[in-house]
Amino acid sequence: MAERYFIGKVQWSTLLGGWMEKYQILAPQKHEGGLFLEPVSMENLSTIVYDAARAVQPLKAFLFPALEEVTGEKAEPEKPWLFLGIKACGLSALPILDQAYGGEFADPHYQKRRQESLIVSSDCSQPWETCFCTLIGGKPYPSEGFDLNLSKVWDGFIVEAGSARGKALLEGHDEVLKEVVKEEAEALDKMRKETVSKIEKQNKEYRLPADLQKLMAGSWESDVWKVHSETCVECGACNHACPTCHCYFLDDVTRKEFVKLRGWDACQYSGYAVTAGGGTPRPHLYERFRNRYFCKIKYLFENYNRLGCTGCGRCIEGCQGRIDMRAALNDLTK
Amino acid sequence: MGQPKNPYQPVKAVIENIIDETPGIKTFVIKPEEAFGFHCGQFAELTVPGVGEGPFAMSSPCHKPEMLEFTIQNVGYMTQRLHKMKKGDVVGVRGPYGNGFPLEKYYGKEVVLLIGGVGFPPARALLYSLLHEKDKFKRLLMCYGARTPQDVVYKYQIEDFRKQIELHMTVDKADESWKETEGVVTVLLDKVNFDLKNAVSVVIGPPIMMKFGTLKLLEKGFKPRDIFLSMERKMYCGIGQCRHCMIDHLFICKDGPVFTYQELKDFPDIWE
Ligand SMILES: Cc1cc2nc3c(=O)[nH]c(=O)nc-3n(C[C@H](O)[C@H](O)[C@H](O)COP(=O)(O)OP(=O)(O)OC[C@H]3O[C@@H](n4cnc5c(N)ncnc54)[C@H](O)[C@@H]3O)c2cc1C
Ligand code: SF4
Ligand code: SF4
Ligand code: SF4
Repeated sequence: MAERYFIGKVQWSTLLGGWMEKYQILAPQKHEGGLFLEPVSMENLSTIVYDAARAVQPLKAFLFPALEEVTGEKAEPEKPWLFLGIKACGLSALPILDQAYGGEFADPHYQKRRQESLIVSSDCSQPWETCFCTLIGGKPYPSEGFDLNLSKVWDGFIVEAGSARGKALLEGHDEVLKEVVKEEAEALDKMRKETVSKIEKQNKEYRLPADLQKLMAGSWESDVWKVHSETCVECGACNHACPTCHCYFLDDVTRKEFVKLRGWDACQYSGYAVTAGGGTPRPHLYERFRNRYFCKIKYLFENYNRLGCTGCGRCIEGCQGRIDMRAALNDLTK
Repeated sequence: MGQPKNPYQPVKAVIENIIDETPGIKTFVIKPEEAFGFHCGQFAELTVPGVGEGPFAMSSPCHKPEMLEFTIQNVGYMTQRLHKMKKGDVVGVRGPYGNGFPLEKYYGKEVVLLIGGVGFPPARALLYSLLHEKDKFKRLLMCYGARTPQDVVYKYQIEDFRKQIELHMTVDKADESWKETEGVVTVLLDKVNFDLKNAVSVVIGPPIMMKFGTLKLLEKGFKPRDIFLSMERKMYCGIGQCRHCMIDHLFICKDGPVFTYQELKDFPDIWE
């Protein structure tokens, strides 16, 4: 059994207050349009939304910002980040980014931010209607990839350490860390089961096979791509909002010598793959649309041994054309 | 070792010489501040400072890494500015990237190069390597096609190459001066015979030429695993991150640019 304790809400807030000096804490706060990761201070400590569901911003927005200078020396934030309230679907995107920006030509900027920051994740309790993690093999509570995980139980949390750095955070606070009693453990199990069934219920009209690779293998020529892309306006929101999308362009746009900016690109844009002669492998909208699905389910999986979709639903939430990935995938099974 | 290297940071390089090849193509001879060893068929990202960057194949011999040559067609924003640069100007270079040609697999064989237009730069690097250890190969043969006689690159080296390999040339549209074949490059394949059991081919050129070249080689009896293609697609990073150059799940920049047709043939739209 992993190392876990019960901690009261007030005691937890005190711990957080103590970490503020060393870390820039970012946590979900409720605003119109959803939950947003925001800097935590003494003033907004009490309004952090721990449980609920994922924030609007994916973690990549911090680890790999939408536009940044990648050449030369960089001014780094004074304190490392401590991300609070990251959900299971956020954690499961990270192995893809870690591999994409690791290896022989590792991106030193991403790696530094990633290695220095801490992640305190938490269980979901009130999924958004676009959430579908369970439909593609995920769970609404973290099982790996966190330093600490919080599960809201009664008037406090069950806190679980998932890494040496997570354990170190808790060191010296034995007086507030209580043994998890049977009733608390049962309440946790119950809460988790309830959340799973909420998500299953809201997705009951969709049925996807366990082997999504196989589903894609036979679907290149399917009508689904044309039918479901009919209302797409090529805004790229689905790419930008996605926690695993990481395509970028490099440009010397500052016009300063040897200064390169890197910015998020989106394969839904018509110019994305266009070369100097005007050629592109995906001249039609439905082909670009199809590319996103193949990338998420086949290409990223083959590259990084992880499904490129975590079921977070951001691409559904952000789509002006009301295109729903669940429905598109479901139609492939017909 | 000091700090880990920033893979996006180009090394400065001085333009030592510029050779006018054709009205739209120039060869740039550059000397990087830090020389990098490379393998023929690999490429580098070349920066015009304050303008932009693009991937280009080294066209010089890989056993002479202190000076690099790139043969570049003026086709767009960055290449246009590059074509205006002068001897002594400074550019940036990062690399080498990609896999390059697997020369060991060609040992003891007939090597047939099917090359179109600006496919010649990487093919020239390959030629230099093949000639460097010429006795390791059974036969060296190159079929090269350009649009018109004016579009032929490395004109000043053609006679020299002809002395060392079997060279067949064609242009799509000939003029009075042209003494060789007229027609698309694939017609040259009809003029030669190969020992198919012991031959490999290398195809480099514009997408349409690569497609029909490959089909012709298959028709001639080459096996998909014996056809080597140097692929090209839009590319920014060159290091397997930005994903613009993907063919299915393969990165042209990292897994390629050299693939056998066997590796690609089951993917749709590889020629676009
Ligand atoms: C592996 C490889 C080797 C190449 N070798 C050569 C060579 O030896 N000689 C040569 O003349 N050309 C070569 N090219 C093509 C060359 O990279 C493009 O023609 C060039 O990038 C166009 O840049 P531009 O700014 O002038 O054009 P623009 O259309 O203004 O390009 C803007 C940006 O788009 C990208 N881009 C545009 N066209 C291409 C393209 N065809 N391939 C990749 N990226 C592109 C670049 O990042 C470029 O900076 C090679 C391409 C690849 C992928
Ligand atoms: S968010 Fe919707 S409209 Fe925008 S590019 Fe994606 S599918 Fe198209
Ligand atoms: S190719 Fe498209 S779907 Fe894949 S990571 Fe890039 S932007 Fe996202
Ligand atoms: S594809 Fe959509 S649902 Fe899947 S991870 Fe990306 S944004 Fe979330």
